[in-house]
Amino acid sequence: MRVTKGAKIATGTALLALGVAACGGGGGSSSGGGDNPRAATGTVYIRGCEPQTGFVPGNINETCGGTINEFVYSRLVKYNSDTAAPELDQAESIETTDNKVWTIKLKPGLKWTDGTPVTAKNYVDAWNYTAYSPNAQLGSFWFGDIVGFDKVNTADPDGPDGPKEAPKPETDKLEGLEVVDDLTFKVTLTAPVAVFRTKLGYTSFAALPDAFFKDPKGFAQKPVTNGPFKFVQWDHNSQIIVEANPDYPGPEKPKVKKIVYKMYKDDNAAYADLVSNNLDFTELIPPSALAGDKWKTDLGDRAIDGQQGVIQTITFPLYDKEFGGNADFRKAVSYAIDRKTITDKIFNKGRVPINGWVSPIVEGFKDGACGDLCTYNPAKAKEYLAKAKSEGYTPPAEFPIWSNADGTHKEWIEATVNSINQAFGADAGVKFVHKDMPTFAELRDTITQHKIKGAFRTGWQMDYPHIENFLNPLYKTGASSNDGLYSNKELDKKLHEADTATDPAQANALYQQAEAMLQQDMPAIPLWSYGLQAGTSKWVTGVKVTPFGVLDPLSIAIKEA
Amino acid sequence: MGRYAIRRLLQLVPVVLGTTFIINYMVWQLPGDPFAGRCGQRPCPDSYVTAMREQFGLDQPILVQYWSFLKNLLTGNLGTDFNGVSVATQLGDAWPITIRLALMAVLFEAIIGIGAGVLSGLKRGGFLDNVVTISTLFLLSLPIFVTGYLLQWILGVQFHVIEPTVTDEATIPELIVPALVLASLNMAFTARLTRTSIVENLRADYVRTAVAKGLTNRRVVGIHLLRNSLIPVLTFLGTEVGSLMSGAIITEGIFNIHGIGGLLWRAINGQDYTIVVPVATLLVLVYLLSNLLVDLLYGVLDPRIRYE
Repeated sequence: MRVTKGAKIATGTALLALGVAACGGGGGSSSGGGDNPRAATGTVYIRGCEPQTGFVPGNINETCGGTINEFVYSRLVKYNSDTAAPELDQAESIETTDNKVWTIKLKPGLKWTDGTPVTAKNYVDAWNYTAYSPNAQLGSFWFGDIVGFDKVNTADPDGPDGPKEAPKPETDKLEGLEVVDDLTFKVTLTAPVAVFRTKLGYTSFAALPDAFFKDPKGFAQKPVTNGPFKFVQWDHNSQIIVEANPDYPGPEKPKVKKIVYKMYKDDNAAYADLVSNNLDFTELIPPSALAGDKWKTDLGDRAIDGQQGVIQTITFPLYDKEFGGNADFRKAVSYAIDRKTITDKIFNKGRVPINGWVSPIVEGFKDGACGDLCTYNPAKAKEYLAKAKSEGYTPPAEFPIWSNADGTHKEWIEATVNSINQAFGADAGVKFVHKDMPTFAELRDTITQHKIKGAFRTGWQMDYPHIENFLNPLYKTGASSNDGLYSNKELDKKLHEADTATDPAQANALYQQAEAMLQQDMPAIPLWSYGLQAGTSKWVTGVKVTPFGVLDPLSIAIKEA
Repeated sequence: MGRYAIRRLLQLVPVVLGTTFIINYMVWQLPGDPFAGRCGQRPCPDSYVTAMREQFGLDQPILVQYWSFLKNLLTGNLGTDFNGVSVATQLGDAWPITIRLALMAVLFEAIIGIGAGVLSGLKRGGFLDNVVTISTLFLLSLPIFVTGYLLQWILGVQFHVIEPTVTDEATIPELIVPALVLASLNMAFTARLTRTSIVENLRADYVRTAVAKGLTNRRVVGIHLLRNSLIPVLTFLGTEVGSLMSGAIITEGIFNIHGIGGLLWRAINGQDYTIVVPVATLLVLVYLLSNLLVDLLYGVLDPRIRYE
């Protein structure tokens, strides 16, 4: 009968479809033979994402571009992947007697990938370019410590929203930068900065070759670099390819010939590729795989469990009478958060409760800066809440904690508000709730305009591994990321003392004292430090993850046979 | 028919103008500064924000912005997105992939969906009908991301029949499984729609006449019954082309296909209107044209429908 024939055709098509799929897809994964497919080409595949800006170090401030940028450009200083300690890289010496005038000498014989030598002038030119405000570079503020910054970088008198425009700077050269000879330059700071040497490892302090200044826009898409890897190709939204730089003089050379950063929109897709050995590394294990430690069973000894310099905090808008609370109220909230249970249950121990405002992996970290305030204690929470009320603060009936819905914050904030509400009890007169703004941009916009009604989540990802980076930008009066507008003259004084101390050990001790002073006012409540969950394919070995939570591409090697 | 088509095409002009204006207006109304979220926990330098706003004309009133958008659209100069990458190149890379995926999905829907619908409709209450009813019920109850992850996990990770993700070239064989996933839900719709339509028309007078005339079974089903029963299915499939293109975000994410869905998703998250508006405009055009095509096809299927 006709109809049956039709049925045969229909099922036939479906089978054919699957059959063709099998032929088309079977290419790479038929790996039963034991041969390592990576060995032939020397290429490894790493999860990447589309950078927001081109590869100009002074204009990069996000991880997609930063991850690659870190290793195509070398800087004066680099951070050890194991210890996070700063080590000299392109610099032969960085000397100072007063932490104010720094003489930096480059190693001789360093080259750009176009063959030109790396000179002191390259550094000075790059820094001048980044700092000059009409160039609108994202990293300009990093040069704020250098003498003459206010003359090259002028502020818009009424902000970007106002009708007035920023005046044109007097000059485009920083007064505090001076080329001494081909390999030496001198940096003069407005005030002593103890951590300047450590800061020099940050992306913005890289040099730029002469080729950049001829065509900044074209250069950003195909840069000439001086790091262990050189830039080959960028296919937007799909992949970025870098190759080992044969001229790289550093002691540790790349062990692979080529790295392809494959871009994924979805962490689950990258993870599926990792499990089936099509992808050699990802540092984003999706929540579905983290649940119940499934990723450890999936990956076995290919799982990497580490730490990174990122902490989570809750910040209060201290400028707001209603939601700023008083010190005892904020302490009560801190006592009421059961950090251990939340990190165990929500993050499956992937995050570690912290007892201070500084990541445990950085130089100068001292445990216990928070005293017992960061330990769960419902009785004390109630006691401090009563105290806060007796001092005249009436909390609003509903107290929101804000986050952005385009991130994955809903679960832990809900757990946190539950913990607080339970500890305070039903008769507390204040109920914490979780509220979302649709996007990160909107949340940040509301926060920076100081219009937010409630506490909000804040995370801090370190720029460089030092205790100073967790204090100055966040808690100094008027600092760039002091979102709650916290101001404490004594703390400012202590931080200034630490900044200007000449002995690094003494500086660290002063920073630690400053950190402990945050206990008095609790402008932000420390929660936990981020762990790092990564995985590798069975083809590679020796993989190390940097303190910044990304792959150290110098460490990755292809397994033999 | 020709005049009708021209009239319909002319009608597209005000519709496109209206929709693009609404899209522009809505993007403009979005709360939050697109450049505020670009510097993480730190506010972006003022000089950067000012320069970016100036470059993209965000400091201009909306009508001026809309005018320059139209001018650029007509001259084919789409400029760059907020990341400084050419919009035209990005669209040029992503469109062919999405079109391929969407057409394959529609093809699967049409072939498998109509095929199954016809078979079960003709044998109403029979074994095959029950199989189709149950299997479509099963497909309808599964959200696309479940089907997607399931097939990816089973075929890709467990049995290595396919690669779990699609390469950048996104060749046709690689897209078969993603297209099946994308089509799965609507394949079931199509099958059910066809079945109902066939069952209904099977009892129509003209079918009885055709059978009484002594026509072969093939002619009755193929020419008389099918052509009449396909009209509602065609309406459904026509609107599908458009929604498959914009709605492939989930499937594209699962199989890492670098198509329009992902591009749009990233642009919406970054409030990058330089991408959102052209993509939305193109989608509007796809919708309008595929609807026009469907309307014209009605006339081909049913001669009683005339356009003059």
